[in-house]
Amino acid sequence: MKKLLTIIMCLVLLTSCNKDKEKLVLVTEAGFAPYEYYSNGEIVGVDIDIAKRIAERLNKELVIKDVAFDSIISEVKTGKSDFGAAGISYTEERAQEVDFTINYSESRQVVIVNNNSYINNINDLYSSKIAVQLGSVADSYITEFFPDAELIREKKFLAAIQDLKDGKADAVVMDELPAKQLITDNMRLLEEELTTDSYGMIVKKGNLELLNTMNEVISELKISGEIDEYLLYHMGIKDSTPDNNNFFNRIYKSVIYDGRYKYILEGLKNTLLIAICAVLIGIVLGTIAAISRNIYENTGHLKILSLISKTYVTIIRGTPSTLQLMIIYYVIFKQTSINIVVVGALAFGINSGAYVAEIIRAGISSINKGQWEAGYSLGLNYFQVMKKIIFPQSVKNILPALGNEFITLVKETSIGAYIGIVELTKASDIIASRTYDYFFPLILIAIIYLIITLFLSKLISTMEKRLNNVKNN
Amino acid sequence: MLKIIDLKKKFGNKKVLNGVNLEIKKGDILGVIGPSGCGKSTLLRCINLLEKPTSGKIIFEGNNLVDNDSLKEIRRRIGMVFQQFNLFDHMTVLENIVLAPTLLKIMSRSEAIKKANELLKEIDLEDIANNYPHEISGGQKQRVAIVRTLIMKPDIILFDEPTSALDPEMIGEVTNLMRKIAKEGMTMIIVSHEMNFIKSFCTRVVFINDGIIKEDKPCKELFNNPESEDLKSFLSKINAY
Repeated sequence: MKKLLTIIMCLVLLTSCNKDKEKLVLVTEAGFAPYEYYSNGEIVGVDIDIAKRIAERLNKELVIKDVAFDSIISEVKTGKSDFGAAGISYTEERAQEVDFTINYSESRQVVIVNNNSYINNINDLYSSKIAVQLGSVADSYITEFFPDAELIREKKFLAAIQDLKDGKADAVVMDELPAKQLITDNMRLLEEELTTDSYGMIVKKGNLELLNTMNEVISELKISGEIDEYLLYHMGIKDSTPDNNNFFNRIYKSVIYDGRYKYILEGLKNTLLIAICAVLIGIVLGTIAAISRNIYENTGHLKILSLISKTYVTIIRGTPSTLQLMIIYYVIFKQTSINIVVVGALAFGINSGAYVAEIIRAGISSINKGQWEAGYSLGLNYFQVMKKIIFPQSVKNILPALGNEFITLVKETSIGAYIGIVELTKASDIIASRTYDYFFPLILIAIIYLIITLFLSKLISTMEKRLNNVKNN
Repeated sequence: MLKIIDLKKKFGNKKVLNGVNLEIKKGDILGVIGPSGCGKSTLLRCINLLEKPTSGKIIFEGNNLVDNDSLKEIRRRIGMVFQQFNLFDHMTVLENIVLAPTLLKIMSRSEAIKKANELLKEIDLEDIANNYPHEISGGQKQRVAIVRTLIMKPDIILFDEPTSALDPEMIGEVTNLMRKIAKEGMTMIIVSHEMNFIKSFCTRVVFINDGIIKEDKPCKELFNNPESEDLKSFLSKINAY
């Protein structure tokens, strides 16, 4: 056990620190072709091409971070990333939070409907169901100017398109360029555009040095026509697998083509790494919390630690884990450049500790009071009774519950995608953002989760049987 | 050897002991009787500090045990036998017996094992030394519990209803062991509902009602000449069965 712990800790530390050239961190959401998207295991796109030129100019190494779109501004604001580029449109609201560069690209917000739709012009939108990407320009525009429309906010514009396909939405509002890539034979664009907006990159307020360099590079690229070249290049690169939609071809596209299984492997590695580290951290924290409370209840010592433990358990169990993850990432580790997987392991570990504490507490209190009394009456003290009599008996109840906690944890890591951890769920998301087909990636990772949890359940029941055979009763 | 002065115990607002005074001399075999809920078990548990007395003194060999945590180790010299045996379920009979003396460094492990085997042999239980508690009968469990107390060489042993959780045919083996220990000069306090056992075994009996000692007399006198109305009505109810 100890060896395993050391190995894992070393692995985590190794991945977190290898410093050579100074880094320039770009934050984006890679699901927005042609500006940023995954290809062959890497994030590419117009924004990335421009970012590379900026990094070159600064003689820094470009590091790309992929997070949810609505996290990008806080990433930049807190200084976790140096700049953001994700087809971000200028709005007054955003400009109060961060500084924008000059425009590097313009986009028209257009309306996509099904061919047979009743919507023929903008006016028809007023009381329709409109799908948009959460936090996008379309989102704020529709919210403001179409208050009577039913708005469906999806995390990905792909999901918005899916809503249109499924009939859940009557129309999708989004940028023209990706819209043209996404549109299928069954869909059409309204001729009239909704609004035109322009994209800029964002930096932390007051970071004039970086901002000036970026503006310089962008205006040079605009004048030389290179940005238009980038756009044409990335628009042409649209998923080049044959559009044959038979079953096996869809699997091929989702898993094998363009090395897409690599995302799944990376996701699996991170999911397991986070779950294992978190459960170990959880066991340490949970044991401290549970034992300190038990010591206080039985002997009156460790009052303060016990109080802290109680507060810790109450807070963690009383708030959503997604929120805890975001607080730990955006508030506590605000300024550090610590590896995101480490942050994830820590956050999930802190979360798990509270549940482990309750598991241990329940395990201890399941032991008959008479066992304590018999120990005390023989002259043993609290620690002797706990160590030799109570704890060995409660292990039988604690271990299976801990196993279940581990299973929960494996599944729970899927929310790590919120802060940009590429775990299994995020991996499937990346693949779907390239294939425009959610079905296979989602089913595939569901099966992987199921295999992991079935394996763990089997392990737990074997362990339970063994414990029952050895300790009996 | 043991002196209890004005011992009071409250559970919340409920007064269970209302000022108990009692003195026990070496070699006493003291029976404690009284109706259910009169406080007799609580008295025993206070003597062993399993319950913290609300007020009063428990003086054991010159030391007041109440409010003196450093004297908790004196417990090892006051043995206790429980109604529900309370053997450690995850340990064999032998391990149950040797745990405390080795942990408290009273003897080495090998000495403890040797001593435990001797004690088990004396009462014909050597065959079950390596069995787990759930594999042996109630009578055997209680005898093991008594041996577990004996190995600590206590000055006094408290018995809290030692036979009431037993099937009738097993009561004899436990009471026989208790008689044997008594013969060897052990001081004992016994809370029990087995009136015949108390009558035939104890040298002295106290009757508790409403949290105080109502009568404290040599055994025969208490049963033959009950003074208080409470004791008379208690005995008449018992004889009715």
